[in-house]
Amino acid sequence: MATGEPGSPTREGMALPQEQAGLCPTDTGGDELSTGPEEQEELLAPQSNGPVRPADGQGDAQEEPSDKELSDSASTDNALEDSSEFGRPLGVGACEPGGPLAPPTHRDEDVTAASWRARRKHIFVLSEAGKPIYSRYGNEEALSSTMGVMMALVSFIQSGDNAIRSIYSDDRKLVFVQQGPLVLVSVSRTLQSEQQLRQELLYVYYQILSMLTQVSITRIFERKKNYDLRRLLAGSEKILDRLLNLVESDPGFLLGAVRCLPLPASLRDALGTLLQKAITPNLVFSILVARSQLVTAVQERAVIEECRLEPTDLHLLLNLIGASSAFQAGEIWTPICLPRFNPDGYFYAYISYLDAECTVCLVLLSTDKESFYAVSDCKKRVEEAMRTQGSLQVLSGGLQSPSYGVGQVGVPDLRHFLYKPLDIPENYRQLPQFTSPELEGPYCSEEEQHRLFDLYHYLHSRIHSTSRPLRLIYHVAEKETLLAWVTSKFELYTCFSPLVTKAGAINVLTKLLRWIKKEEDRLFIRYPPKYSTTPNPGKGAKGGRPDGAENGFFAGL
Amino acid sequence: MKPDGKVVLLGDMNVGKTSLLHRYTERRFQDTISTVGGAFYLKQWGPYNISIWDTAGREQFHGLGSMYCRGAAAVILTYDVNNLQSLIELEDRFLALTDTASTDCIFAIVGNKVDLTNEYALLLETEEENRSEKLVTSCISTKVQKQVHLDDAVALYKKILKYKMLDEKDVPAAEKMCFETSAKTGYKVDYLFETIFDMVVPIILRQQAEGPLQTVDLTNCKSAKRTKSGCCA
Ligand SMILES: Nc1nc2c(ncn2[C@@H]2O[C@H](COP(=O)(O)OP(=O)(O)O)[C@@H](O)[C@H]2O)c(=O)[nH]1
Ligand SMILES: [Mg+2]
Repeated sequence: MATGEPGSPTREGMALPQEQAGLCPTDTGGDELSTGPEEQEELLAPQSNGPVRPADGQGDAQEEPSDKELSDSASTDNALEDSSEFGRPLGVGACEPGGPLAPPTHRDEDVTAASWRARRKHIFVLSEAGKPIYSRYGNEEALSSTMGVMMALVSFIQSGDNAIRSIYSDDRKLVFVQQGPLVLVSVSRTLQSEQQLRQELLYVYYQILSMLTQVSITRIFERKKNYDLRRLLAGSEKILDRLLNLVESDPGFLLGAVRCLPLPASLRDALGTLLQKAITPNLVFSILVARSQLVTAVQERAVIEECRLEPTDLHLLLNLIGASSAFQAGEIWTPICLPRFNPDGYFYAYISYLDAECTVCLVLLSTDKESFYAVSDCKKRVEEAMRTQGSLQVLSGGLQSPSYGVGQVGVPDLRHFLYKPLDIPENYRQLPQFTSPELEGPYCSEEEQHRLFDLYHYLHSRIHSTSRPLRLIYHVAEKETLLAWVTSKFELYTCFSPLVTKAGAINVLTKLLRWIKKEEDRLFIRYPPKYSTTPNPGKGAKGGRPDGAENGFFAGL
Repeated sequence: MKPDGKVVLLGDMNVGKTSLLHRYTERRFQDTISTVGGAFYLKQWGPYNISIWDTAGREQFHGLGSMYCRGAAAVILTYDVNNLQSLIELEDRFLALTDTASTDCIFAIVGNKVDLTNEYALLLETEEENRSEKLVTSCISTKVQKQVHLDDAVALYKKILKYKMLDEKDVPAAEKMCFETSAKTGYKVDYLFETIFDMVVPIILRQQAEGPLQTVDLTNCKSAKRTKSGCCA
């Protein structure tokens, strides 16, 4: 067992290249198409949408946050004091006798069973004191000794002024990430690189922040080292479970980009204009989504000048919304943190579905926690205008198939692709986007989907390798052939039937790029709506400045 | 547009607040719903719009608890009949949040999850004598001894009156305001909400009479229909 970089990557299913920085990433005779000396350029550097980096200033308590945030809720101190009384298990549903049985959740899994051990990927979250916070499979309570061992490892290495990063065994990678008082661990049998697994753990961390903020977590553990954070995360297991499933099936997480609902540009523009008009003081983001795909988003002027909405924040927000099936008919008003935007501040999110089928969802983010009724009123205006325009029917009705099939491209050998444009005009402060057809053909079962995503992950890690990034990879795998290509204009991953020749693949690529060019106005938000200007932002007693503790970005507005 | 009256559900996590509201509004029970934050639901009751606020455990942490209660005409304090601590929490943590509620706010104390107790079959029998409502009965197998009894809830109700410095004579009787429900089977869920809505109507009228911006339509008071209100327990 060793810490740090491995001597050789794992072998599993598909044979991987043995040499670390070898020229040939393929196993069965494929090779890289050399694109000349620039091939070894540091490709990540100029892109801001590379792997998620942890927020800086971690751990050291910078601006000592005022006590306001915690003390303005009378109950929090209480919760901190008597947390020891809440030893009861969270999985209440598990103890229901009789009745229509709920599908057994992973929470009930027997952690001593071989099937538990055989899971593709385990994720654990624990506190620095070794208290279990979350486990993807099995009840955290039952796993407390396992987590104890993990924590012992972490602190043993820490005591030597070092940090444990990873452990490689024959068929598994263990990756550790410490963020403030939280320790996150991934135990994986997938082909993902250590870097990718680390990024996934950061997504989990950010999702926790989205509910609690970094400053609160830090403060809670400062006050009480062995605080049981599950007290505050009650009900969130489902949100984290869903996130981990998404991370493995939605390429948006891998690419750091959002998927837009394919729409005629004129309709998208009309909807953007509509959102720009339905505003109220302190409303800073208006986001319209249909089946978790972005339709359009509008930012308030002051915000857009500071910062743009990050794909990660949007992914986490949409996951949170999707995880709650409660009140699809009602309206939700909840504090939420966009951790990439500002890990310490809350927005107040208004969430409401606009159609009975709950496919079209409007999310409005305000900085004023008292503005529920005003924001709810904005929704009514949006809803009415959309009815009049007839666009609501188009959005909810046009979603029988949430995306499009690869057949539309009209080239037979192409099975699937991921395309992320990089040539977005900077002055629009555009969200990074991507498009991909729906999975079909041989990739219908979960197992096959995992296999394909493993391959995509592998190619992605080669393209984005920090030691030796590549521009073009032609990879012949067992059941398919893949080609990954990154230029200054796009990042593209394609999957072909195994019989395709190299020349044939290049030919398909040309056609695919031509098709995307033709469709780009429909597939992407090409010209995002300009900012909205909400009347008198931050005026009056209810002024939009969130609580004192929520400094940073807001001070700069 | 603000609704006419406000009802807030409070109580420890997992007692079944979301399930109760879901059962009432959607007519079903779902095991896997989760509340991300506060959820707001509008109910048309006679000529009035009553808003119902569901809260999640974190809401108190975020300091939103008291905002949810501001101006509330009724607060439904919910506990789990199989969990004594959840009743204690009501007094310790949640009562203070109701300080911002309307001065004549009514309080209901609701013990949920009675379907899990060994008394449930008994309750059902008495129920069937009074009403011929069809209930989804879960098979009676490993029922547990109830941890919290109605008396405990009644005692808490009286403590609340003391805390609010209210005279027992001026408010609905404790026996009337303590409920036992099951969101899972639907037992007494409609009865709970509809009793509360009926009681909220006079408060709405008074609030509207006081509110300087609101116009009072007195003809409406009489038409405040007492639909479906069940008999007392
Ligand atoms: N047996 C039973 N389970 C219930 C009942 N009400 C809620 N539950 C379960 O208790 C858990 C918590 O319910 P939830 O409504 O989320 O509680 P909340 O945190 O107060 O909103 C869920 O697993 C529900 O399925 C009930 O009346 N009977
Ligand atoms: Mg709830």
